Amino acid sequence: MSTAIDRSKMEELKEIVVEVLEIEDDELTDTSLFIDDHEADSLRAIEILARIEKKYKVDIPQSELPKMVNLQEVYNVVAQYADWQD
Amino acid sequence: MTVETPDTTVHTTQAPLEHADLKRILAHRHPILQLDRVVEFEPGRRIVAIKAVTGTEPCYGGLSDDAVHADHAYPASLLMESMGQASAALWLHSAILAGEQPRGTLVFGSAREFTIEGAAYPGDVLRHIVELDSTKGDNAFMHGETWAGDRRIVTADSMLVALRDDMTLT
Repeated sequence: MSTAIDRSKMEELKEIVVEVLEIEDDELTDTSLFIDDHEADSLRAIEILARIEKKYKVDIPQSELPKMVNLQEVYNVVAQYADWQD
Repeated sequence: MTVETPDTTVHTTQAPLEHADLKRILAHRHPILQLDRVVEFEPGRRIVAIKAVTGTEPCYGGLSDDAVHADHAYPASLLMESMGQASAALWLHSAILAGEQPRGTLVFGSAREFTIEGAAYPGDVLRHIVELDSTKGDNAFMHGETWAGDRRIVTADSMLVALRDDMTLT
């Protein structure tokens, strides 16, 4: 994805991720890895996906989960399915 | 929360499930099978399951003779387990009725905003009312409440129940 990052959307996604992973805001960066850096597992990942789907009313296939390794990659996947291009 | 308060009218859309039926749906067995009967079942939508608490529960076996009433509150961990099993029964039985064959190890993934508002004691009948919010592959999200008679004692805003192959339990 080459579109510019919408920081407010990024912050919304961050809010979802830190809540599910039960970590502090400042622990999560755009590129810190959910599994390696924040001890996430497949259940936390599916929770993140479900919350995103509910919030943005999009359907994101489970097959996209392996790509969603950090906040930046989550943004990229969601932007694709939620059609966030300008 | 959108679940309504329990009422006394029976409007079952599927025949009630007895204890023996629950054993065909869930892998849990005595003494950890924490449901007795399903009294209402709407496939893919809603379940009302009951669990009678008695003084003969294993959890009361270690109490000393000077234990007071409050010591006999049914443990929060078992309240959560029982509601989790009601959630799993809703999801799995719905899948079976839809012709699917759920496989794998049942995992209680998470419970968010799980609030214990009151206690249950020997003699109480727990009534779990759980509604299915969404499913995603081998994962189901639900919310629910537990009542002891006319007292609501638990609310759960979001529960995740999942099926995983033994080898993918990571």
